[in-house]
Amino acid sequence: MKRMPLLLILLSFLTLSGCVHRAEPSKQEKFLAASPRSILIVPVVNKSVDVTAADYMLSTLATPIAERGYYVFPTNTVKRVLEDEGLADSSLVYSAATSKLANLFGADVVLYVVVEQWDAQYAVLTTTTTVDLSYQIRDGKTDDVLWENRVKMVYQPNSGGNSGGGLGGLVAQLVVKAVVAAMQKAAPNYMPLVHQANAKAFLRYPGTGIPFGPYATAEELKKEKSINELRNRGLIPPDRD
Amino acid sequence: MTLATKYLFFIFLLFSLIGCGAHSHYNWSNYDTKMYQHYKNPAERDEFVQALKDILDNAEPEGKVPPGIYAEYGFVMYEQGNNQQAVLYFQKEAEKWPESRAFMAKLIANVNNRARNQKANVQSPVGPDADAGKTVPKPSAEVSK
Repeated sequence: MKRMPLLLILLSFLTLSGCVHRAEPSKQEKFLAASPRSILIVPVVNKSVDVTAADYMLSTLATPIAERGYYVFPTNTVKRVLEDEGLADSSLVYSAATSKLANLFGADVVLYVVVEQWDAQYAVLTTTTTVDLSYQIRDGKTDDVLWENRVKMVYQPNSGGNSGGGLGGLVAQLVVKAVVAAMQKAAPNYMPLVHQANAKAFLRYPGTGIPFGPYATAEELKKEKSINELRNRGLIPPDRD
Repeated sequence: MTLATKYLFFIFLLFSLIGCGAHSHYNWSNYDTKMYQHYKNPAERDEFVQALKDILDNAEPEGKVPPGIYAEYGFVMYEQGNNQQAVLYFQKEAEKWPESRAFMAKLIANVNNRARNQKANVQSPVGPDADAGKTVPKPSAEVSK
């Protein structure tokens, strides 16, 4: 009975870590076999109620992918060229054959992102900001899905600490909380949340992320290799979260 | 030291290394925020052009120009009707990133096509750079060819 709390904590950790979809190992092997050098980022599909979400999301993708060591095609230029090609609507881009798109730009693979949810919900004294994103990389020659991931991030600002001070202090605290929540609702700042989501989606490798690309430094590749070795010897669980 | 402690120590070291390996390859100068602001306020086009120029100015001395930025700058030059600068920056992108060469070749061919057409129906002796802004040509769809 004494162990129950510990067990409970462990169990809740397990359930929590279950929220994120994991890339299947077979698909990671496909990605490694394709060993792409360049990634084409195409306009984002928006399934959320916020009309600005797609452009917002699109502008954040080049940095993490390039820092991972891949050549990234110029995001805005690609968007404009696709518009001129009659592919201004991102759902049209998604239904077009990947090989056709890749051929247009000379890209090895194409990254597709769907905004599943993107909102700031106002509840008494706090605003909860949520982004839920699906990522998919498809092969520019075979149209095969090489990698996919889904990440949901929730942010709830923790405003106004425990300053004490009796009823007056409490009221002041509540006012501060309400103001912060209202500000977050009026102009939610998604950027930090999206940066975290992208990091979670791409950087966890070995695991659910993507491996380093051709422009990664020797140091990064060495680190990746040593993590891989540890994993192969069973010293690191296959998917860390 | 037993073998187990050795391993534990090694794993600990590795995890601490993972934490501090977050240095950047490139100097982005808030590329993402600038692009988003451009989409939010398309009328403030000059600010986006300036933002791209700033990224290049900051990153070039350090040799940390991110992939795609030369091309982005070249493309806004193209949209402004500045054929010379457009070609120059598309060439820079192609030189730095071999993966971009096929796409850059298409864009350069596009600019050259337009320049030829402009020369063919030239009405005034003013060069293509001087009347930038007055005639903003629509980028043609010839990239697909």
